[in-house]
Amino acid sequence: MIETQGLGKMYGRGLYALQDLTLTIDKGEFVFMTGPSGAGKSTLLRLLLLQERPTEGDVIVGGRNLARLTRAEVQAYRRTVGFVFQDFKLITTKTVFENVSFALRVLGLPVEQQRRRTYQVLKWVGLQHRLNSLPSELSGGEQQRVAVARALVNEPHLILADEPTGNLDPDLSLEIMNLFRDINASGTTVVVATHDRELIKWVGRRVIQLEHGRLAGMEDAR
Amino acid sequence: MKVVVYAFEEAWASLRRSGKSAVISMGTIAIAFVTLGGFLLVSVNVQRALDRWMEAAEMSVYLVEGVNDETLASLESYLRAQSAVAAVEFISKARALERFRTDAPELADVAGSLADNPFPAAFEVRLNSGALAAELAEELARGATAREGVADVRYDRRWLARLLVIVASARVAGGLAAGVLMLGAAFTVAAVVRLSLYARRDELEIMQLVGAPFSFIRGPSVVEGLLLGGIGATAAFAVVGLAYVMMARWLGPDLAGLIGEGQILFLGFSEAAVMLIGGLAVGAGAGAWASRAATQV
Repeated sequence: MIETQGLGKMYGRGLYALQDLTLTIDKGEFVFMTGPSGAGKSTLLRLLLLQERPTEGDVIVGGRNLARLTRAEVQAYRRTVGFVFQDFKLITTKTVFENVSFALRVLGLPVEQQRRRTYQVLKWVGLQHRLNSLPSELSGGEQQRVAVARALVNEPHLILADEPTGNLDPDLSLEIMNLFRDINASGTTVVVATHDRELIKWVGRRVIQLEHGRLAGMEDAR
Repeated sequence: MKVVVYAFEEAWASLRRSGKSAVISMGTIAIAFVTLGGFLLVSVNVQRALDRWMEAAEMSVYLVEGVNDETLASLESYLRAQSAVAAVEFISKARALERFRTDAPELADVAGSLADNPFPAAFEVRLNSGALAAELAEELARGATAREGVADVRYDRRWLARLLVIVASARVAGGLAAGVLMLGAAFTVAAVVRLSLYARRDELEIMQLVGAPFSFIRGPSVVEGLLLGGIGATAAFAVVGLAYVMMARWLGPDLAGLIGEGQILFLGFSEAAVMLIGGLAVGAGAGAWASRAATQV
Protein backbone atom coordinates (compact mmCIF):
# COMPACT_ATOMS: atom_id res chain seq x y z
CA MET A 1 0.00 0.00 0.00
CA ILE A 2 2.71 2.47 1.10
CA GLU A 3 6.36 2.23 0.17
CA THR A 4 9.08 4.80 0.72
CA GLN A 5 12.53 4.56 -0.84
CA GLY A 6 15.31 6.80 0.51
CA LEU A 7 12.66 9.37 1.35
CA GLY A 8 13.94 12.73 2.58
CA LYS A 9 12.59 16.15 3.36
CA MET A 10 15.00 18.99 3.86
CA TYR A 11 14.11 22.50 5.03
CA GLY A 12 16.53 25.34 4.51
CA ARG A 13 20.22 24.53 4.39
CA GLY A 14 20.80 20.92 5.35
CA LEU A 15 18.08 20.81 7.99
CA TYR A 16 16.51 17.39 7.52
CA ALA A 17 13.07 16.61 8.94
CA LEU A 18 13.25 13.19 7.31
CA GLN A 19 16.30 11.45 5.90
CA ASP A 20 16.83 8.26 3.91
CA LEU A 21 13.59 6.64 5.09
CA THR A 22 12.79 3.28 3.54
CA LEU A 23 9.76 1.37 4.78
CA THR A 24 6.70 -0.55 3.66
CA ILE A 25 3.16 -0.59 5.02
CA ASP A 26 0.91 -3.32 3.67
CA LYS A 27 -2.60 -2.89 2.42
CA GLY A 28 -5.12 -3.27 5.25
CA GLU A 29 -2.45 -2.84 7.93
CA PHE A 30 -2.83 -0.74 11.11
CA VAL A 31 0.48 0.93 11.88
CA PHE A 32 1.64 3.30 14.58
CA MET A 33 4.43 5.78 14.02
CA THR A 34 6.08 6.92 17.16
CA GLY A 35 9.04 8.94 18.33
CA PRO A 36 9.83 12.12 20.25
CA SER A 37 8.86 15.60 19.05
CA GLY A 38 10.81 16.47 15.92
CA ALA A 39 11.31 12.80 15.00
CA GLY A 40 9.59 13.34 11.64
CA LYS A 41 6.20 11.69 12.27
CA SER A 42 4.13 14.66 11.16
CA THR A 43 6.46 15.35 8.23
CA LEU A 44 5.96 11.81 6.95
CA LEU A 45 2.19 12.20 7.23
CA ARG A 46 2.37 15.55 5.44
CA LEU A 47 4.31 13.90 2.63
CA LEU A 48 1.78 11.06 2.48
CA LEU A 49 -1.03 13.59 2.24
CA LEU A 50 1.02 15.63 -0.26
CA GLN A 51 0.78 18.77 1.81
CA GLU A 52 4.48 18.92 1.00
CA ARG A 53 6.67 17.36 -1.66
CA PRO A 54 9.71 15.25 -0.75
CA THR A 55 13.14 16.70 -1.52
CA GLU A 56 14.70 13.24 -1.91
CA GLY A 57 13.58 9.72 -2.72
CA ASP A 58 10.21 8.30 -3.61
CA VAL A 59 6.96 7.76 -1.81
CA ILE A 60 4.68 5.26 -3.51
CA VAL A 61 1.06 4.83 -2.42
CA GLY A 62 -1.18 2.33 -4.18
CA GLY A 63 1.40 2.04 -6.97
CA ARG A 64 1.57 5.78 -7.63
CA ASN A 65 4.73 7.77 -7.03
CA LEU A 66 3.39 10.82 -5.19
CA ALA A 67 6.40 12.98 -6.05
CA ARG A 68 5.44 12.86 -9.73
CA LEU A 69 1.74 13.71 -9.44
CA THR A 70 0.43 16.85 -11.10
CA ARG A 71 -1.67 19.30 -9.08
CA ALA A 72 -4.91 17.84 -10.44
CA GLU A 73 -3.68 14.30 -9.76
CA VAL A 74 -2.82 15.31 -6.20
CA GLN A 75 -6.45 16.27 -5.65
CA ALA A 76 -7.64 12.98 -7.18
CA TYR A 77 -5.23 11.07 -4.90
CA ARG A 78 -6.45 12.91 -1.81
CA ARG A 79 -9.97 11.71 -2.52
CA THR A 80 -8.72 8.22 -1.65
CA VAL A 81 -7.20 9.30 1.67
CA GLY A 82 -8.91 10.28 4.92
CA PHE A 83 -7.15 12.46 7.47
CA VAL A 84 -7.55 13.14 11.18
CA PHE A 85 -5.58 15.82 13.03
CA GLN A 86 -4.94 16.58 16.69
CA ASP A 87 -6.76 19.92 16.39
CA PHE A 88 -9.77 18.33 14.64
CA LYS A 89 -9.81 20.98 11.85
CA LEU A 90 -13.57 21.39 11.99
CA ILE A 91 -15.26 24.42 10.44
CA THR A 92 -16.58 26.31 13.45
CA THR A 93 -19.49 27.95 11.62
CA LYS A 94 -20.90 24.68 10.28
CA THR A 95 -22.92 22.09 12.16
CA VAL A 96 -21.76 18.52 12.72
CA PHE A 97 -23.79 17.35 9.71
CA GLU A 98 -22.50 20.19 7.50
CA ASN A 99 -18.89 19.57 8.52
CA VAL A 100 -19.10 15.98 7.37
CA SER A 101 -21.26 16.52 4.29
CA PHE A 102 -18.99 19.40 3.22
CA ALA A 103 -16.36 16.82 2.25
CA LEU A 104 -18.85 15.32 -0.20
CA ARG A 105 -20.43 18.59 -1.30
CA VAL A 106 -17.13 19.99 -2.59
CA LEU A 107 -16.67 16.83 -4.64
CA GLY A 108 -19.96 17.56 -6.40
CA LEU A 109 -21.89 14.51 -5.17
CA PRO A 110 -25.70 14.57 -5.49
CA VAL A 111 -27.42 16.07 -2.45
CA GLU A 112 -29.36 12.90 -1.62
CA GLN A 113 -26.15 10.86 -1.65
CA GLN A 114 -24.44 13.48 0.54
CA ARG A 115 -27.24 13.27 3.11
CA ARG A 116 -27.44 9.48 3.15
CA ARG A 117 -23.71 8.87 3.49
CA THR A 118 -23.24 11.65 6.05
CA TYR A 119 -26.01 10.28 8.24
CA GLN A 120 -24.67 6.73 7.95
CA VAL A 121 -21.17 7.69 8.98
CA LEU A 122 -22.32 9.94 11.83
CA LYS A 123 -24.49 7.11 13.08
CA TRP A 124 -21.49 4.81 12.87
CA VAL A 125 -19.41 7.12 15.11
CA GLY A 126 -22.40 7.51 17.46
CA LEU A 127 -23.23 11.14 16.78
CA GLN A 128 -26.60 10.79 15.07
CA HIS A 129 -28.16 12.75 17.95
CA ARG A 130 -25.80 15.76 17.48
CA LEU A 131 -26.36 16.45 13.77
CA ASN A 132 -27.30 20.09 14.24
CA SER A 133 -24.79 20.98 16.94
CA LEU A 134 -21.92 23.33 16.29
CA PRO A 135 -18.37 22.10 17.07
CA SER A 136 -18.20 24.54 20.01
CA GLU A 137 -21.14 22.68 21.59
CA LEU A 138 -19.32 19.33 21.53
CA SER A 139 -16.76 17.72 23.87
CA GLY A 140 -13.22 17.08 22.59
CA GLY A 141 -14.00 13.41 22.04
CA GLU A 142 -17.16 14.24 20.10
CA GLN A 143 -15.28 16.76 17.95
CA GLN A 144 -12.67 14.14 17.11
CA ARG A 145 -15.43 11.67 16.26
CA VAL A 146 -16.82 14.25 13.81
CA ALA A 147 -13.33 14.52 12.29
CA VAL A 148 -13.17 10.71 12.01
CA ALA A 149 -16.60 10.69 10.38
CA ARG A 150 -15.44 13.29 7.88
CA ALA A 151 -12.35 11.21 7.13
CA LEU A 152 -14.52 8.16 6.50
CA VAL A 153 -17.40 9.66 4.58
CA ASN A 154 -15.50 9.54 1.30
CA GLU A 155 -14.81 5.80 1.81
CA PRO A 156 -11.01 6.13 1.60
CA HIS A 157 -8.50 3.30 1.18
CA LEU A 158 -6.11 4.92 3.63
CA ILE A 159 -6.60 6.85 6.88
CA LEU A 160 -3.80 9.10 8.16
CA ALA A 161 -4.06 10.37 11.72
CA ASP A 162 -1.62 12.83 13.28
CA GLU A 163 -1.75 12.70 17.09
CA PRO A 164 -5.53 12.14 16.97
CA THR A 165 -5.74 11.72 20.75
CA GLY A 166 -3.33 14.51 21.64
CA ASN A 167 -6.13 16.73 22.98
CA LEU A 168 -8.17 13.98 24.61
CA ASP A 169 -8.19 12.33 28.03
CA PRO A 170 -7.31 8.60 28.25
CA ASP A 171 -10.91 7.32 28.13
CA LEU A 172 -11.77 9.39 25.06
CA SER A 173 -8.46 8.37 23.48
CA LEU A 174 -9.41 4.71 23.79
CA GLU A 175 -12.81 5.49 22.33
CA ILE A 176 -11.17 7.06 19.24
CA MET A 177 -8.69 4.18 18.95
CA ASN A 178 -11.59 1.74 18.98
CA LEU A 179 -13.04 3.62 16.03
CA PHE A 180 -9.74 3.29 14.15
CA ARG A 181 -9.65 -0.44 14.94
CA ASP A 182 -13.15 -0.83 13.54
CA ILE A 183 -12.20 1.15 10.44
CA ASN A 184 -9.16 -1.08 9.96
CA ALA A 185 -11.27 -4.20 10.46
CA SER A 186 -13.25 -3.21 7.38
CA GLY A 187 -10.05 -3.34 5.29
CA THR A 188 -8.90 0.28 5.36
CA THR A 189 -5.20 0.91 5.92
CA VAL A 190 -4.66 3.06 9.01
CA VAL A 191 -1.50 5.00 9.90
CA VAL A 192 -1.53 6.76 13.28
CA ALA A 193 1.26 9.04 14.49
CA THR A 194 1.41 9.24 18.27
CA HIS A 195 3.90 9.39 21.12
CA ASP A 196 1.45 7.80 23.56
CA ARG A 197 3.12 4.47 24.40
CA GLU A 198 0.21 3.34 26.60
CA LEU A 199 -2.19 3.72 23.72
CA ILE A 200 0.11 1.79 21.41
CA LYS A 201 0.34 -1.04 23.92
CA TRP A 202 -3.41 -1.06 24.39
CA VAL A 203 -4.15 -1.30 20.67
CA GLY A 204 -1.20 -3.61 20.02
CA ARG A 205 -0.09 -3.23 16.41
CA ARG A 206 3.11 -2.77 14.40
CA VAL A 207 5.12 0.28 15.46
CA ILE A 208 7.51 2.30 13.28
CA GLN A 209 9.94 4.25 15.44
CA LEU A 210 11.44 7.46 14.10
CA GLU A 211 14.23 9.54 15.61
CA HIS A 212 15.85 12.67 14.19
CA GLY A 213 14.09 12.05 10.89
CA ARG A 214 15.46 8.53 10.49
CA LEU A 215 14.03 5.07 10.97
CA ALA A 216 15.10 4.03 14.46
CA GLY A 217 13.39 0.65 14.61
CA MET A 218 10.32 -1.47 14.14
CA GLU A 219 8.45 -3.51 16.70
CA ASP A 220 5.24 -5.40 16.97
CA ALA A 221 3.26 -4.38 20.04
CA ARG A 222 0.90 -7.34 19.76
CA MET B 1 -23.60 22.67 -13.08
CA LYS B 2 -23.06 21.72 -9.41
CA VAL B 3 -19.82 23.66 -9.31
CA VAL B 4 -21.57 26.75 -10.73
CA VAL B 5 -24.37 26.55 -8.15
CA TYR B 6 -21.81 25.99 -5.38
CA ALA B 7 -19.63 28.87 -6.61
CA PHE B 8 -22.57 31.30 -6.75
CA GLU B 9 -23.89 30.25 -3.32
CA GLU B 10 -20.49 30.63 -1.69
CA ALA B 11 -19.69 33.86 -3.54
CA TRP B 12 -22.99 35.44 -2.52
CA ALA B 13 -22.49 34.39 1.10
CA SER B 14 -18.97 35.79 0.97
CA LEU B 15 -20.18 39.13 -0.44
CA ARG B 16 -22.72 39.42 2.36
CA ARG B 17 -20.01 38.61 4.87
CA SER B 18 -17.61 41.15 3.34
CA GLY B 19 -20.07 44.02 3.84
CA LYS B 20 -18.31 47.37 3.65
CA SER B 21 -15.21 46.14 1.87
CA ALA B 22 -17.40 44.67 -0.89
CA VAL B 23 -19.26 47.99 -1.22
CA ILE B 24 -15.94 49.87 -1.44
CA SER B 25 -14.73 47.45 -4.08
CA MET B 26 -17.88 47.84 -6.15
CA GLY B 27 -17.61 51.62 -5.73
CA THR B 28 -14.04 51.61 -7.03
CA ILE B 29 -15.09 49.59 -10.05
CA ALA B 30 -18.06 51.91 -10.57
CA ILE B 31 -15.77 54.98 -10.52
CA ALA B 32 -13.45 53.40 -13.08
CA PHE B 33 -16.34 52.47 -15.33
CA VAL B 34 -18.13 55.81 -14.93
CA THR B 35 -14.90 57.36 -16.24
CA LEU B 36 -14.84 54.89 -19.11
CA GLY B 37 -18.55 55.32 -19.82
CA GLY B 38 -18.39 59.11 -19.68
CA PHE B 39 -15.42 59.04 -21.97
CA LEU B 40 -17.26 56.73 -24.40
CA LEU B 41 -20.37 58.93 -24.26
CA VAL B 42 -18.43 62.09 -25.09
CA SER B 43 -16.39 60.23 -27.68
CA VAL B 44 -19.46 58.91 -29.51
CA ASN B 45 -21.01 62.36 -29.73
CA VAL B 46 -17.80 64.21 -30.65
CA GLN B 47 -17.25 61.66 -33.41
CA ARG B 48 -20.80 62.23 -34.63
CA ALA B 49 -20.23 66.00 -34.72
CA LEU B 50 -16.93 65.56 -36.53
CA ASP B 51 -18.51 63.25 -39.10
CA ARG B 52 -21.21 65.82 -39.75
CA TRP B 53 -18.70 68.62 -40.09
CA MET B 54 -16.57 66.50 -42.39
CA GLU B 55 -19.57 65.79 -44.60
CA ALA B 56 -20.48 69.48 -44.71
CA ALA B 57 -16.91 70.56 -45.39
CA GLU B 58 -16.37 72.47 -48.61
CA MET B 59 -13.49 73.64 -50.69
CA SER B 60 -13.60 77.24 -51.91
CA VAL B 61 -11.58 77.96 -55.05
CA TYR B 62 -11.20 81.75 -55.25
CA LEU B 63 -10.60 83.30 -58.63
CA VAL B 64 -8.38 86.17 -59.68
CA GLU B 65 -10.00 89.44 -60.79
CA GLY B 66 -11.13 89.58 -64.42
CA VAL B 67 -10.76 85.90 -65.21
CA ASN B 68 -12.06 85.17 -68.71
CA ASP B 69 -14.91 82.79 -69.59
CA GLU B 70 -12.62 80.29 -71.27
CA THR B 71 -10.44 79.90 -68.14
CA LEU B 72 -13.56 79.75 -66.02
CA ALA B 73 -15.04 76.94 -68.12
CA SER B 74 -11.77 75.05 -68.19
CA LEU B 75 -11.43 75.29 -64.40
CA GLU B 76 -15.02 74.18 -63.85
CA SER B 77 -14.50 71.17 -66.15
CA TYR B 78 -11.34 70.29 -64.26
CA LEU B 79 -13.11 70.45 -60.89
CA ARG B 80 -16.11 68.40 -62.03
CA ALA B 81 -13.82 65.70 -63.41
CA GLN B 82 -12.21 65.01 -60.01
CA SER B 83 -13.43 61.91 -58.12
CA ALA B 84 -13.32 63.69 -54.74
CA VAL B 85 -15.87 66.23 -55.96
CA ALA B 86 -19.58 65.73 -55.29
CA ALA B 87 -20.86 69.09 -56.66
CA VAL B 88 -19.53 72.39 -57.99
CA GLU B 89 -21.29 75.73 -57.78
CA PHE B 90 -20.06 79.01 -59.28
CA ILE B 91 -20.44 82.04 -56.99
CA SER B 92 -20.03 85.31 -58.87
CA LYS B 93 -18.65 88.47 -57.27
CA ALA B 94 -22.19 89.93 -57.14
CA ARG B 95 -23.59 86.80 -55.47
CA ALA B 96 -20.78 86.73 -52.95
CA LEU B 97 -21.61 90.33 -51.95
CA GLU B 98 -25.29 89.51 -51.74
CA ARG B 99 -24.54 86.52 -49.48
CA PHE B 100 -22.47 88.73 -47.24
CA ARG B 101 -25.37 91.14 -46.88
CA THR B 102 -27.76 88.27 -46.08
CA ASP B 103 -25.44 86.41 -43.71
CA ALA B 104 -24.19 89.50 -41.88
CA PRO B 105 -27.04 92.04 -41.83
CA GLU B 106 -25.38 93.88 -38.93
CA LEU B 107 -22.58 94.80 -41.35
CA ALA B 108 -24.97 95.95 -44.13
CA ASP B 109 -23.74 99.58 -43.69
CA VAL B 110 -20.17 98.52 -44.33
CA ALA B 111 -21.19 96.64 -47.45
CA GLY B 112 -23.18 99.65 -48.70
CA SER B 113 -20.35 102.08 -48.19
CA LEU B 114 -17.92 100.15 -50.39
CA ALA B 115 -17.15 101.73 -53.74
CA ASP B 116 -16.12 98.43 -55.33
CA ASN B 117 -17.20 94.87 -54.65
CA PRO B 118 -14.21 93.38 -52.75
CA PHE B 119 -15.48 89.78 -52.83
CA PRO B 120 -13.80 87.49 -55.35
CA ALA B 121 -15.73 85.11 -57.57
CA ALA B 122 -15.28 81.51 -56.55
CA PHE B 123 -16.18 77.90 -57.16
CA GLU B 124 -17.67 76.24 -54.11
CA VAL B 125 -16.83 72.57 -54.25
CA ARG B 126 -18.73 70.01 -52.14
CA LEU B 127 -16.60 66.96 -51.45
CA ASN B 128 -17.39 63.29 -51.16
CA SER B 129 -17.15 61.89 -47.61
CA GLY B 130 -14.77 59.18 -46.51
CA ALA B 131 -11.07 58.74 -45.86
CA LEU B 132 -10.21 58.15 -49.48
CA ALA B 133 -11.97 61.39 -50.41
CA ALA B 134 -9.90 63.20 -47.77
CA GLU B 135 -6.68 62.18 -49.53
CA LEU B 136 -8.14 62.96 -52.93
CA ALA B 137 -9.34 66.34 -51.63
CA GLU B 138 -5.78 67.21 -50.62
CA GLU B 139 -4.65 66.31 -54.12
CA LEU B 140 -7.50 68.37 -55.59
CA ALA B 141 -6.56 71.38 -53.47
CA ARG B 142 -2.96 71.20 -54.70
CA GLY B 143 -4.12 70.73 -58.30
CA ALA B 144 -6.63 73.61 -58.19
CA THR B 145 -4.06 75.98 -56.67
CA ALA B 146 -1.80 75.37 -59.66
CA ARG B 147 -4.52 76.10 -62.23
CA GLU B 148 -4.68 79.32 -64.22
CA GLY B 149 -7.14 81.91 -62.83
CA VAL B 150 -7.04 80.58 -59.26
CA ALA B 151 -6.11 83.10 -56.54
CA ASP B 152 -6.45 80.88 -53.48
CA VAL B 153 -7.93 77.58 -52.28
CA ARG B 154 -9.51 77.31 -48.81
CA TYR B 155 -10.25 73.90 -47.50
CA ASP B 156 -12.30 73.28 -44.27
CA ARG B 157 -11.10 69.73 -43.85
CA ARG B 158 -7.58 70.81 -43.10
CA TRP B 159 -8.51 72.15 -39.67
CA LEU B 160 -11.00 69.35 -39.21
CA ALA B 161 -8.23 66.85 -39.87
CA ARG B 162 -6.15 68.55 -37.19
CA LEU B 163 -9.15 68.41 -34.86
CA LEU B 164 -9.47 64.71 -35.62
CA VAL B 165 -5.85 64.18 -34.57
CA ILE B 166 -6.51 66.05 -31.31
CA VAL B 167 -9.66 64.00 -30.68
CA ALA B 168 -7.80 60.77 -31.44
CA SER B 169 -5.05 61.78 -28.98
CA ALA B 170 -7.67 62.62 -26.36
CA ARG B 171 -9.25 59.23 -27.00
CA VAL B 172 -5.95 57.44 -26.37
CA ALA B 173 -5.35 59.49 -23.21
CA GLY B 174 -8.90 58.78 -21.99
CA GLY B 175 -8.47 55.09 -22.74
CA LEU B 176 -5.21 55.01 -20.79
CA ALA B 177 -6.81 56.82 -17.83
CA ALA B 178 -9.71 54.37 -17.86
CA GLY B 179 -7.23 51.49 -18.10
CA VAL B 180 -5.28 52.73 -15.07
CA LEU B 181 -8.51 53.14 -13.10
CA MET B 182 -9.62 49.66 -14.09
CA LEU B 183 -6.28 48.26 -12.97
CA GLY B 184 -6.82 49.96 -9.62
CA ALA B 185 -10.32 48.51 -9.48
CA ALA B 186 -8.94 45.05 -10.26
CA PHE B 187 -6.49 45.35 -7.35
CA THR B 188 -9.33 46.38 -5.04
CA VAL B 189 -11.42 43.40 -6.14
CA ALA B 190 -8.42 41.12 -5.63
CA ALA B 191 -7.93 42.51 -2.12
CA VAL B 192 -11.59 41.90 -1.22
CA VAL B 193 -11.44 38.37 -2.64
CA ARG B 194 -8.26 37.69 -0.67
CA LEU B 195 -10.02 38.88 2.49
CA SER B 196 -12.85 36.47 1.70
CA LEU B 197 -10.35 33.68 1.14
CA TYR B 198 -8.79 34.49 4.50
CA ALA B 199 -12.23 34.32 6.14
CA ARG B 200 -12.78 30.93 4.47
CA ARG B 201 -9.27 29.62 5.12
CA ASP B 202 -10.51 26.70 7.26
CA GLU B 203 -12.91 25.62 4.54
CA LEU B 204 -10.22 25.99 1.88
CA GLU B 205 -7.82 23.84 3.87
CA ILE B 206 -10.45 21.11 4.24
CA MET B 207 -11.29 21.40 0.54
CA GLN B 208 -7.64 20.90 -0.34
CA LEU B 209 -7.29 17.94 1.99
CA VAL B 210 -10.40 16.11 0.78
CA GLY B 211 -9.24 16.56 -2.80
CA ALA B 212 -11.90 18.98 -4.00
CA PRO B 213 -11.48 19.84 -7.69
CA PHE B 214 -9.85 23.24 -8.34
CA SER B 215 -13.08 24.45 -9.91
CA PHE B 216 -14.73 24.07 -6.48
CA ILE B 217 -11.80 25.68 -4.67
CA ARG B 218 -11.34 28.68 -6.96
CA GLY B 219 -14.84 28.95 -8.42
CA PRO B 220 -16.35 30.98 -5.56
CA SER B 221 -13.50 33.53 -5.77
CA VAL B 222 -13.90 33.94 -9.51
CA VAL B 223 -17.66 34.33 -9.15
CA GLU B 224 -17.20 36.77 -6.26
CA GLY B 225 -14.95 38.92 -8.47
CA LEU B 226 -17.43 38.52 -11.32
CA LEU B 227 -20.28 39.76 -9.11
CA LEU B 228 -18.23 42.67 -7.73
CA GLY B 229 -17.19 43.70 -11.25
CA GLY B 230 -20.64 43.16 -12.75
CA ILE B 231 -22.48 45.07 -10.04
CA GLY B 232 -19.90 47.89 -10.14
CA ALA B 233 -20.08 48.19 -13.93
CA THR B 234 -23.89 48.05 -13.89
CA ALA B 235 -23.97 50.83 -11.31
CA ALA B 236 -21.56 52.83 -13.48
CA PHE B 237 -23.77 52.24 -16.52
CA ALA B 238 -26.77 53.55 -14.56
CA VAL B 239 -24.80 56.65 -13.49
CA VAL B 240 -23.71 57.32 -17.09
CA GLY B 241 -27.33 56.83 -18.22
CA LEU B 242 -28.53 59.33 -15.62
CA ALA B 243 -25.83 61.80 -16.67
CA TYR B 244 -26.94 61.36 -20.28
CA VAL B 245 -30.60 62.06 -19.45
CA MET B 246 -29.61 65.22 -17.53
CA MET B 247 -27.27 66.37 -20.30
CA ALA B 248 -29.90 65.73 -22.96
CA ARG B 249 -32.47 67.72 -20.99
CA TRP B 250 -30.32 70.71 -20.04
CA LEU B 251 -27.74 70.93 -22.79
CA GLY B 252 -29.52 69.11 -25.61
CA PRO B 253 -30.92 72.17 -27.44
CA ASP B 254 -27.51 73.93 -27.33
CA LEU B 255 -25.57 70.86 -28.38
CA ALA B 256 -28.03 70.05 -31.18
CA GLY B 257 -26.57 72.94 -33.17
CA LEU B 258 -23.14 71.37 -32.98
CA ILE B 259 -24.08 67.74 -33.35
CA GLY B 260 -26.93 68.06 -35.81
CA GLU B 261 -30.51 67.01 -35.90
CA GLY B 262 -31.99 65.04 -33.00
CA GLN B 263 -30.77 64.43 -29.47
CA ILE B 264 -27.24 63.75 -28.41
CA LEU B 265 -26.61 60.01 -28.64
CA PHE B 266 -26.41 57.54 -25.75
CA LEU B 267 -23.94 54.66 -25.78
CA GLY B 268 -24.50 52.13 -28.52
CA PHE B 269 -24.67 48.36 -28.01
CA SER B 270 -20.92 47.89 -28.46
CA GLU B 271 -20.01 50.64 -25.96
CA ALA B 272 -22.51 49.27 -23.42
CA ALA B 273 -21.07 45.77 -23.97
CA VAL B 274 -17.54 47.11 -23.42
CA MET B 275 -18.63 48.53 -20.06
CA LEU B 276 -20.63 45.58 -18.76
CA ILE B 277 -18.53 42.73 -20.13
CA GLY B 278 -15.42 44.71 -19.18
CA GLY B 279 -16.65 44.96 -15.58
CA LEU B 280 -17.39 41.23 -15.42
CA ALA B 281 -14.03 40.38 -16.99
CA VAL B 282 -12.00 42.68 -14.72
CA GLY B 283 -13.77 41.28 -11.64
CA ALA B 284 -13.48 37.63 -12.66
CA GLY B 285 -9.84 38.10 -13.65
CA ALA B 286 -9.01 39.71 -10.33
CA GLY B 287 -10.86 36.94 -8.48
CA ALA B 288 -8.99 34.24 -10.40
CA TRP B 289 -5.68 35.98 -9.76
CA ALA B 290 -6.38 36.38 -6.05
CA SER B 291 -7.36 32.73 -5.64
CA ARG B 292 -4.40 31.22 -7.46
CA ALA B 293 -2.52 30.67 -4.18
CA ALA B 294 -5.40 28.55 -2.89
CA THR B 295 -4.55 25.78 -5.33
CA GLN B 296 -0.79 25.63 -4.81
CA VAL B 297 0.36 22.14 -3.85
